Amino acid sequence: MKFKLIYPGWEKLEGQTIFNLPPHGPVVMAAALPDDVEVEFIDENVEQLSTDDYPDFVGISMMLTTQIKRGWAIADEYRKKGIKVIFGGISTMLHAEETMGHADSVFLGEVEGRLDKVFDDFRQNKLQKIYNFINNPPDMSLIGPARRDILKRDYYYHKGFQMVDLFHASRGCIYNCYPCAVRYLGGRGFRPRPMDKVVEELAGIDNNRLFVVDNSLALDTEWEKELFRAMIPLKKKWCSHTIEDKPEVLDLAAQAGAWYVYQAVFDTSDYIKNRIKQYHDFGIGVEGTILLGLDNQTEDDILRLIDFLLEIDLDLAEFTIMAPFPHTKAWDDMKKQGRILHQDWNLYNAGNVVFKPMHMSPERLQELYHYAWDTFYKDEPQTKKMFNLISRVVTKEMEDGTFKPRRRDLIDVSFGKKIDKQPE
Amino acid sequence: MQTADKYIDLIYDYKGQWDSPSRCGLKVYQRSDGHFVIVVTELYTGNPGTSVTQWCAPLATTLIGEYGIEPEQLIFIERTPDTGSKLVFLRETFDRVSFTWDGIKYTSPEWQRLSREEVDKLLSE
Repeated sequence: MKFKLIYPGWEKLEGQTIFNLPPHGPVVMAAALPDDVEVEFIDENVEQLSTDDYPDFVGISMMLTTQIKRGWAIADEYRKKGIKVIFGGISTMLHAEETMGHADSVFLGEVEGRLDKVFDDFRQNKLQKIYNFINNPPDMSLIGPARRDILKRDYYYHKGFQMVDLFHASRGCIYNCYPCAVRYLGGRGFRPRPMDKVVEELAGIDNNRLFVVDNSLALDTEWEKELFRAMIPLKKKWCSHTIEDKPEVLDLAAQAGAWYVYQAVFDTSDYIKNRIKQYHDFGIGVEGTILLGLDNQTEDDILRLIDFLLEIDLDLAEFTIMAPFPHTKAWDDMKKQGRILHQDWNLYNAGNVVFKPMHMSPERLQELYHYAWDTFYKDEPQTKKMFNLISRVVTKEMEDGTFKPRRRDLIDVSFGKKIDKQPE
Repeated sequence: MQTADKYIDLIYDYKGQWDSPSRCGLKVYQRSDGHFVIVVTELYTGNPGTSVTQWCAPLATTLIGEYGIEPEQLIFIERTPDTGSKLVFLRETFDRVSFTWDGIKYTSPEWQRLSREEVDKLLSE
């Protein structure tokens, strides 16, 4: 049976460096498909999608809210031709009711051990409108290894540089942060994968550079240390969300190939400054993630925060505007207070103000967002700062013998598209 | 997470969106004028499913059925408890929720922020 799995495209944020990473959700989902299903994967961010074909069954995997309107449009095309469409993924879960209007079926929750039933139902023409496994996670030993073989690998290169591959060692989160929907999506508990499965999958990835996409690696110290110990022999280089700043953890993380980590910068305290210094002391870079528009931020707070960022030696910074996504406390609060400006989901991309901020106008917050990007990268552009980070990882790779040179055959290609040769 | 206080008589289990097992704090108080004040408290990490805000209309519909309350007798209040955080959006809040009754169920919730004193007053009438 031919199953066409589609990852809808979305409009990238204006003015930001475009990187298309190989998507993670679809390859994890594909690993759970029945053996007799032949899957064709299309990532619309790097290739043209044609809906002129007649696959047996179409799957649409959506991670971001900014993908859903495009996902619905693709589904509408196929359904007009009588081809059945099933939706899954994070943003399908966040927008399930609306998505059901464009779907023959929606899958909510995690797929492992569940897709045989879905495909049996499909074959018997008994596809259910909804497969609901929210709050019913699968046995973690059933996960993966992810089917990266479905990716068209050459599309994930920029000027000969291979993009990082995405990987996960755990699911869920013990926290319930204000703008985050993980509690709804992945449950309230921390669920690590069996370590032997983690190592097996890591060893099989044909890429030395990874993005470990776990919600947080800092949820269980002993597990975190065990993970890093297990990763040391693999010599991978990786970035991740936050890790603990205990010296013994940072030491192991550095040995395990920690390249850089994301660190939320939410105030101008010495705590943040010291934490960044600690990472740097162990040779780990830091990309600050700065969320603008929270109710406790005035204009002055944001301006002070931007000044602070220039003082604390961040390697990179990423600014986002708070977006109240459904199933978060932020959404509930904004809804109650009548502060949601619209529900044009294409604009829920963390680069547009979609709500009324507490202490300023939406227009002013939008200006401050652009001001933050411009100011942080004024003296050294983002591409240069990224190059510095890449240089560091190249040095490490040269030292441990894992360095792979750029692919010369893709030197004038960016994400599958030919580009004019420009001086570096 | 604090759950037992003057605005909670019991922990109430309900089926949220997609039948998700969900949980809130619940206080039901009958006033002398015949109205019932229902206070539902969001339990955050103690609620494994749908938030009381997202599910307020179905939840209010279920509760008036269970407690034998006429639709027009209901005063429905959503409360978020103080989590002890320094962040303003994690402090205690109360919102009175007004609904439209369509003959079968509540729909179209609208929220109005109340102070603790206003809630106390509603409970004491």
